[in-house]
Amino acid sequence: MAADVHKKKSWEVSNGLLAPADGQHVAERSESPTPGLAQGTEPGAGQEGAMFVHTRSYEDLTSSEDGGAASQSPEEGQGDQDDQIKMEQISKDFSELSTQLTGVVLDFEEEMRQSKDDKLDLSPQTSRHDSVLSGKEEEDVTMDAWRMHQKHVFVLSEAGKPVYSRYGSEEALSSTMGVMMALVSFLEAEKNAIRSIHADGYKVVFVRRSPLVLVAVARTRQSEQDIAHELLYIYYQILSLLTWTQLNHIFQQKQNYDLRRLLAGSERITDNLLDLMARDPSFLMGAARCLPMAAGVRDAVSTSLQQARAKSLVFSILLSRNQLVSLVRKKDQFLHPIDLHLLFNLISSSSSFREGEAWTPICLPKFNSCGFFHAHISYLEQDTDLCLLLVSTDREDFFTVSDCKRRFQERLKKRGVYHALREALLTPFYSVSQVGISDLRHFIYKSKSSGLFTSPEIEAPYVSEEEKERLLGLYQYLHSRAHNSSRPLKNIYFTGQNENLLAWVTSAFELYVCFSPLTTKAAAVGAVNKLMKWIRREEDHLFILMPQTY
Amino acid sequence: MSGQRVDAKVVMLGKEYVGKTSLVERYVHNRFLVGPYQNTIGAAFVAKVMSVAGRTVTLGIWDTAGSERYEAMSRIYYRGAKAAIVCYDLTDSSSFQQENLWVHELQNFEEHCRIYLCGTKSDLLDEDRRKRGVDFHDVQDYADEIKAELFETSSKTGQNVDELFQKVAEDYVHFTAFQVMTEEKGVDLSQKSGTYFYSCCHH
Ligand SMILES: Nc1nc2c(ncn2[C@@H]2O[C@H](COP(=O)(O)OP(=O)(O)O)[C@@H](O)[C@H]2O)c(=O)[nH]1
Ligand SMILES: [Mg+2]
Repeated sequence: MAADVHKKKSWEVSNGLLAPADGQHVAERSESPTPGLAQGTEPGAGQEGAMFVHTRSYEDLTSSEDGGAASQSPEEGQGDQDDQIKMEQISKDFSELSTQLTGVVLDFEEEMRQSKDDKLDLSPQTSRHDSVLSGKEEEDVTMDAWRMHQKHVFVLSEAGKPVYSRYGSEEALSSTMGVMMALVSFLEAEKNAIRSIHADGYKVVFVRRSPLVLVAVARTRQSEQDIAHELLYIYYQILSLLTWTQLNHIFQQKQNYDLRRLLAGSERITDNLLDLMARDPSFLMGAARCLPMAAGVRDAVSTSLQQARAKSLVFSILLSRNQLVSLVRKKDQFLHPIDLHLLFNLISSSSSFREGEAWTPICLPKFNSCGFFHAHISYLEQDTDLCLLLVSTDREDFFTVSDCKRRFQERLKKRGVYHALREALLTPFYSVSQVGISDLRHFIYKSKSSGLFTSPEIEAPYVSEEEKERLLGLYQYLHSRAHNSSRPLKNIYFTGQNENLLAWVTSAFELYVCFSPLTTKAAAVGAVNKLMKWIRREEDHLFILMPQTY
Repeated sequence: MSGQRVDAKVVMLGKEYVGKTSLVERYVHNRFLVGPYQNTIGAAFVAKVMSVAGRTVTLGIWDTAGSERYEAMSRIYYRGAKAAIVCYDLTDSSSFQQENLWVHELQNFEEHCRIYLCGTKSDLLDEDRRKRGVDFHDVQDYADEIKAELFETSSKTGQNVDELFQKVAEDYVHFTAFQVMTEEKGVDLSQKSGTYFYSCCHH
């Protein structure tokens, strides 16, 4: 029903944030390779406006706007000098981390800990710096740490009943027995808080979203903000199955309700979400990646999708393996990237959508956590990964929506783009060598105004799963440094043993680059300049510049 | 409004894991998928054209999830159904005990819906008779009582699957021929419920 569309809450709030929260232009210092781009003019910015709710990437999840959280608001107006000090501090952090960010306790967390008072520290202070390893041992420890790279996640009701456990309850319990005790005392504390415990070698992060408590026990070198961010995704995942309204209603009726009954069969979706977050930078970036394709083909697809509309449709999304092909939305309705990620996850977690046409209730919690939409999910053809997702407000409207799919396919055929579309599916990733910068290994570029990012295929030397996750871990670290609520940094350059890294965050875009360890800083700056030009040149291929509405 | 003309709506009901999706797969695609269990999310629709006594009939089959999560919403899937295939696992007596719930709902809300009880996975009984968890005569008595047809099928071997759906289609043809004389109005697919925020108070 159309009226319900207007009941949404979150985008109205965050839509006002057209100027991003971290929009400090002081950050464009002289060493920046290109002058600051105003938001909306950066490469990848849509020419017809955005498709998504504007978000401040992951702060959007953890900030108080979302219901209260640990992160403090960024300190405004720091001058260049402060930045300079920060740069020194961060390179110190990084070199202390030249253990390649193994699971050992990181230095910067100590500062974060000092800056907040709502955390427990159970670990003996003395062992902290001793645990930073050096020299030769490092290699093995790195591998060891990766093998041990584990993150237990579990969800409890406030009455202490298990709701979800990542690795089976026994295992989760045995590794957290002591922690459970501390948890009890936390439960008395204020709602919607994020808290953490730092024990030797791992940290425990709690997120309370009444009536649920989410806990992660992590040996990763992720910041607690990042971990809390993942926990919130799990929370939203649960909401997407039940709605906030239903969840609360159930626990109001019966405090010790066993929610597993209602969530039965959804464990796979949640497991998949955790796996995906460890592999796919979309979650970290709070953005969507597009399937690269010729602009003409994409526009024809979007137009076909736009024409196959129906009154009850709010979003029409064509995707292939977690990459966006096209997204058409109802005028004035914006999708939140988190909701899109939940949809992507739902689709990638089940092969059941390959049979027939699915019609399933789904809540998009960032859009409206109170009600269900109905999603029509189907693959265009049996043997391709092209999946069409039509989100409707009317659960009785299946046949109308199903007819939209038929009309969409007809239009595609009529316009003769089916073939080109299938062709694009053959090359879902591009090689970084196309950029033509010799020491460039990999990068992630996000256009803030479009909420889209681009990234080449991860290639050698990041071949094994461990190496790939390690690279993502490095980006995670850079990202958390660049967005650290108490000490955000706009430019980071780090020279390491295995690679050199650069992060550049402006009000318009975010860029994370990985170079071979041989690059000099000057060369890196030059390379970034060249890279930005390349992205600009390729932008209509890599992004959706002409999003459509109906 | 519909691009796909459907003559008869058929809904698959029954607890998760009893074999509803496999039954539809066997009937529509004549295959049996092995591999890890993929629970149905929400519901899946598939249309199948068949012929009954020289007449083509399109069955619109709704394969539901059967999970408690979607119970409050199951009505949207069976509303206006001409036939309900209520499945239970022949090797799992608890799955049969739950039949009652579905049958009651159908009797209360869909008086024109014919009920077909379907015991699934009969191939497992062929392997080992002792696996039978549901007595045939008990179910037969129950079926008589609620005026339902009874089938025992195997999606793995295909046994009795076509027969089941053929019977559904035949009954539809006979039943509607009779119904047209007694009742004019069909199902109004555009009929809407008050709100799409369905009531979540089924506990
Ligand atoms: N041996 C055997 N296994 C079956 C049969 N039908 C379904 N299964 C298995 O039972 C499980 C659940 O089947 P599925 O059709 O997905 O159940 P649904 O949840 O009711 O849709 C799957 O592992 C199937 O492989 C059958 O006829 N014979
Ligand atoms: Mg199923």
